Order: sequence, then C-alpha cells, then structure tokens
Amino acid sequence: MTECLTKTGKKVLTKGNYAIANAAVIAGCQCYFGYPITPQSEIGEFMSGKMQELKRGYVSAESELGAINMVIGAVATGVKAMTSSSSCAISLMQEALSYAATDELPVVLVSVMRGGPGLGNIYPSQGDYNQATIGGGNGDYKLIVLAPSTVQECVDLTYKAFYLAQKYRNPTVLLADGMLGQMMEPVEFGEYPYPEIDNSDWALTGAKGRPSRVIRSYGPLADDRCVFLNKLFEKYKTIEENETEWEEFNTDDADIILVSFGGPSRNVKSAMKECRRQGLRVGMFRPVTLYPFPSKRLNELAGITKKFLVVEVNMGQMVRDVRLAVNGKVPVELFNKPVGSPPEVDDIVNEVKRQIKE
Amino acid sequence: MEKNFIIAGFGGQGVLLAGEVLANAFMMAGKNVTWYPCYGAEMRGGTVNCEIVMNDSEEVSAVNKKEADFVVALNQASVDRFVSKIKKGGWMIANSSLAKEIRTRADINYLFAPITKLAENVGNIKMTNILALGILAKVSKLVTLESLTEALDAVIPAHRKNLIPLNLKALKIGYEYDLLPV
Repeated sequence: MTECLTKTGKKVLTKGNYAIANAAVIAGCQCYFGYPITPQSEIGEFMSGKMQELKRGYVSAESELGAINMVIGAVATGVKAMTSSSSCAISLMQEALSYAATDELPVVLVSVMRGGPGLGNIYPSQGDYNQATIGGGNGDYKLIVLAPSTVQECVDLTYKAFYLAQKYRNPTVLLADGMLGQMMEPVEFGEYPYPEIDNSDWALTGAKGRPSRVIRSYGPLADDRCVFLNKLFEKYKTIEENETEWEEFNTDDADIILVSFGGPSRNVKSAMKECRRQGLRVGMFRPVTLYPFPSKRLNELAGITKKFLVVEVNMGQMVRDVRLAVNGKVPVELFNKPVGSPPEVDDIVNEVKRQIKE
Repeated sequence: MEKNFIIAGFGGQGVLLAGEVLANAFMMAGKNVTWYPCYGAEMRGGTVNCEIVMNDSEEVSAVNKKEADFVVALNQASVDRFVSKIKKGGWMIANSSLAKEIRTRADINYLFAPITKLAENVGNIKMTNILALGILAKVSKLVTLESLTEALDAVIPAHRKNLIPLNLKALKIGYEYDLLPV
C-alpha cells in the first residue's frame, strides 16, 4: 500500500486511514510512534513501511502511553511528529495531552473513533467528541480539534493539523471515525499547502552557542502560574478568533437547521437536500473545527431559524455545545444513533418532518 | 445521477476487492465514488459486504443507504440478507453455484449465474469476484470493460501482476455470459 504516496495531481482511491498517513508524510512528519488498534491500524501499517523507506523515525511503541510520550519528546526537539489511536486507547493518553498542552508542544494526534465506553467495539462512533474537545487530562487546557467528513478532507485537515499545531504550539487532534478510516474515496494529495513555522526560539536543539532551555509543566509559584495560564488562554482566544471553521448550506431561510460533524454529516447533508426537494425549508450547519467551536455563528443563526436538530452517532455530546451557543434562543433537539454507521437518510428526513410538526 | 451497489458473499471470496476494483473503475471514468465496507468481527468463511456509491456530480455521497440499485450476492446468506434492500426495478445478481434460484420478489430483476463454476472453468476459483464484475458491467451498463481493466491494473499489487491475464479472462467471460434476461 505504501506505493500510494503521491504528490501529483493524479487521483488515487484510498482509505481514510492511508490518506491521513500519507498526508502526514507529505506534511513533513519526521517521526511516527504508535500502537495498533482497530479501526486505525492502517495508519501504523503504512508508517512502518514509508517512514523507514524515507529514513524517518518509526517506533512501534510498547503501549499508547509510550507512544504519546515519545511524540512529546520528539516535538520538543522541533521536528514534526504524530501518533494515532482510537477511543479506549486515546483514554490512556489524556495525562500526556494535558502535559503537552501546558508545555505548548505541537503534538499531532489522530483519533479514529470507535464504539465505547470502555473497550466498546470496533464499529464507527462519535462517542469521543467530549474526549477530544473537553479532554480527560487535568487542569485548564484546550486541544485544537479538526473533524473531517470525507477522505479528501482527511488529507486536507491532516495538513492543517500539522500547521495549526506548529503555528500555535498547541496539541492538535484530527478527529475521524471508523467509517472515514475504513472507507475509500478518490483523493488528491498535492503539496503541503502551509508555510513552515520557525521554531528556533523555543525548540530543544542543543544549547551550543546559546543559553540552555527547559520545557516543563511544573509551576510551583502561584503568581507565576496565574500569569502563565492567563497567557495560555490569551492564545486560545486568538485561536478562537482566527481558526474557527464551519460549513453551512441553505441557512438563510431555514425553519430548522440540522447540525452535524464528521462522517455522518454526509448523510445529514443528503437528508437536508431531500427535505428541500420536498419543499421543506431545512438548512445544515457543519462545524469543521470542534475546538474552536463555531458558537458565535450558531448564535447568529438562532436569530434566523426556529429550531436546531443535532444529529450525532453517540448519546448526544455536541448537542451540549450547540445549546450553549444558542443560549436558549430557540429549541435545540437531538436525533442520535448510539453507535455504528450513520443514520439512514430517510430516518433523518422523517425526524425532520416530525420536528417541524411539533 | 447516483447509483449504489452492494457486493456480498463469504469472507475469502474477494468481495471487498471486487468492490475496490469497481470503485477504481468509476474513478477512472471520472465519476465520484465512495467504497464503504462492512467491517467488524468478519473472518474467512463469515459473511462480508461492501457498499459502492457512484455519483456523476461533485456531490459527497451519503453511505449506509436503505436501498441499492444493484446487489451482487455470491452466496445464499447474501441473497437472503440483501434481496429486500433492492430498489424497485433494481437487480439481484446471484451466484447460483451457492444460492437457490428462488425469486421472492416480482418487482426486481434477477440474474442467476453459476459464478463459482464459471470461475473454475476459467482456471481458478478465486476469479469468482472478478467474473461477477463482468456480469455486473453488462447488466448495469454503468461501467466499461476498459475501465475495469485499468482498475484491475491499479488495484492488483506488483507481486501479483502475473494474475492479471486470468482476471481479464474472467472479466470477459462474465461480460459475455449470455443468459441475460433483457
């Protein structure tokens, strides 16, 4: 499969997992550390061949804890590095993500969601929305979270994940799901479209000719910690102002707006179109960045529409962020499927009709 | 125009590969396509299937569709499971080597062909999947033998290229299978 690496304009049909891995290689990822877990094992498989071929770093880690901490070590030296995993194994990485956030390290983590909680199963799911956007590590921190909905977006947002991680020195998560990881679509890789970020003022590159540097998360003095956290949250504010991304369709005159992210949003989009075909005024809103969440725009739309219907493959996680954004202006309802492939288009259409009648 | 296909059979019959070849053929013909496998605790001998959604426009396709235009069922379990999912006027292409020729619906088209046996006649039972694609190409008129040939070359890895002539033979025999009800 490693022969699929291409930078030409030629389209190739490939799985989301391979697309992510290949995009990471093109983005200049120098080190990959990982431990296999379905449904994202193809990422490690691809990297095990390609990184060696390119004389870059690949370590099949002893555990997920090992993998994420190896990424921390690697990115601290100023190189691009990543790991990838899934659900229950991402749980194991939460401590390290909190450290990486306070150390302001550009860790890239690919999270391909499967069924949970606990060991769960290997079917697609969006049950880790909270895990990615709120997190399980201690303290006040944020991870940038990008949610692709097609295999092409798996490529584009992998590039973006590396860029944003470097630009803001912040851990960045590409939040895909088992469906995107396993499905195949034609993609074009092209070149890494972002500028390289100079990290010479902080990376640990050996102290030859300059004073030594230390990267650590320990801040023993209360006042210092206040200053640090305020500064960290200034950075988050900048990220929120500059990097919030979403897509919206037919929202101008919508009586009801469907809100959905990631792979399942494809079915939601089809459902929205079918509703329009039947003469119903239905719109759609898809957050591309889950942090920063497009709250401001949703709040504006609450002044236009009468209702939001959030469609998710979990028990209802993003719906809380939508409700916070809408702030009680209009009702925000949930149509969910606990786990598995996205809800069928007809089922979404029927739910929309039911919601309009209510 | 959007058309969707389900290819199903035993694990080991090359169901996912057949879908991959078909999806590549659509891509090479300039169409949008999505290949979505069922994946789970499937293993050799169990049932496996994949869904291929072909689209003429720039649209991103929905997956996990309620109905299919074409079902290729390589064993009895797949016929039983997917016959109800075929759209009115759609097609069930079934492998009569491993499934009974029973028509439970009057509003769809059936084609029963002894696909496994035909593959054995080609010289390798493993050609079942590609032979079925030949039949599907003829029935659906949505994909050409040229695109499928090009797709085979793209999908089959370097160390298996020696199998391409046999695959092409299977494809042709499937395509020329002449018991097609019109």
